[in-house]
Amino acid sequence: MSGVLSQTLTLFSRQNSTLCSLAVLSLQARQTHWQTTILGLRTSLPMRAEPKKKKKVDPKREVALRDRLKKKLKKLERVPPELIPIEDFITPTKYLDETRVREPPRLSFEESERRALLMKAWSRYKQEQHEAEMKTINDALEAQREALEELRLESEELYQAALKRDQRLFPYESQGPCYTPPIPGYQAPEGKFNDITKVHTQ
Amino acid sequence: MAAPVRRVLLCPLRRILTQIPCSGVASSGCRQLSVGLRVPAVQKPNDVVLESPSPWRLLGAVFVQRLAVISRDRSPIEKDFAELLKQTELERSLLADHELRLLEDAERVSRKQEEDYDSDEDSGQDIVTAQDLEDTWDQKLRQFKPAQRLTGSIQKQLLNSEADKKADRTCLERCLEDSLVLLVKEKIGSEDVWLLPQVQWENGETLRETAERALTTLTGNSIKATFLGNAPCGVYKYKFPKDVRTESCVGAKVFFFKALLGSGDIAPNKKGGHVWVSKTELQDYLKPQYLEQVGRFMVDL
Repeated sequence: MSGVLSQTLTLFSRQNSTLCSLAVLSLQARQTHWQTTILGLRTSLPMRAEPKKKKKVDPKREVALRDRLKKKLKKLERVPPELIPIEDFITPTKYLDETRVREPPRLSFEESERRALLMKAWSRYKQEQHEAEMKTINDALEAQREALEELRLESEELYQAALKRDQRLFPYESQGPCYTPPIPGYQAPEGKFNDITKVHTQ
Repeated sequence: MAAPVRRVLLCPLRRILTQIPCSGVASSGCRQLSVGLRVPAVQKPNDVVLESPSPWRLLGAVFVQRLAVISRDRSPIEKDFAELLKQTELERSLLADHELRLLEDAERVSRKQEEDYDSDEDSGQDIVTAQDLEDTWDQKLRQFKPAQRLTGSIQKQLLNSEADKKADRTCLERCLEDSLVLLVKEKIGSEDVWLLPQVQWENGETLRETAERALTTLTGNSIKATFLGNAPCGVYKYKFPKDVRTESCVGAKVFFFKALLGSGDIAPNKKGGHVWVSKTELQDYLKPQYLEQVGRFMVDL
């Protein structure tokens, strides 16, 4: 609009040299950007203030957007749980100190010989012990097998009764041998203790 | 039938036992030919089941064992090897805090004894050295009295009567390192015989129940034992002397059942006598063939 008008104005200005005055007029008229021209149609404001049409896709779009955001959050939260450290496998740093290294011993020939011979004697001793144990166990099993054979010859009914499992036997508890015999009527003293074990939660 | 036969049973056990071997093959073969077996109805449904009793009398016996209460002492080679292991472990280890402290103290002492020692350099530390600590610990150890391995009464016995090895074998607190087994003295025939508590089997009960009955009747109700399973652990078979043998009863089979002693002991007023013995002492009491069978399943590990 303003472009056309300016062109007509310039045409006029060529004819009459009142270019300057017209330009000044147009400048003075344009004080705000809302006022395009005095002569222009007042179509801009009402056109822009028209109420917005609510599109039908909008709620679906919002819901879809929220789902996508949730999925992204879940992916971020899917961090694998932190592994519980095993205390035994972590060497404390104070044992990596070099000042703690013991110098290796210098063994005499006799000492090293004695050690080697003792190890051999020990393995021999253990082998004999193991063989004796196996023999004892096998003897006991053989004796039981023969007893069951004899019983079978006697009566099948008693034999079947002997083969049944003993339901009352397990769980069987018994105190094993200690270094000193148990003191009769001993009462262990009660004491308080602070449990400082570290508990890790995942 | 039970009572009279039992009285006449086995006058001289030794005679029979040396004559007849204990292996089951020959006798069982003969027995099968001569006597009809008690066959269950399942196998031969058509025939009438012959209920002819076997010629062997059944007895249930109990082998009650008190397990070891204290651990055994180490044998010489075990002691040597334990020492060797300790030494090698020490040699391969790192220095402990205490040892480092000892080294520092030694160093400090050597520095003090040098000529150009400046006492202001030392930061005025405590005078309690690591060596002092070791000395206090040594003293405490000397004052500590560990518990005795042998109970007081047994120690006295050992001191008083070492020569008499049969001193009070009825006591349950002897030989704490070994497992003990109960033997009772029974009158069989005209002879007193040491054997495991046994009782005749009665119709309608399992052999394990017979063994349990043997335990309660021959020892009074004071012993509590856990029977290890329903199956017998051993058998001892013998034939009666020829004059006692009849057609229906040739000999007897004694089935042994193992039990572990829980609590309780026999009342000392048992007539005939009872004894708790370890495996090595069994030979003083049992007859050779009986001992051979019992020794097979007595585990003394």
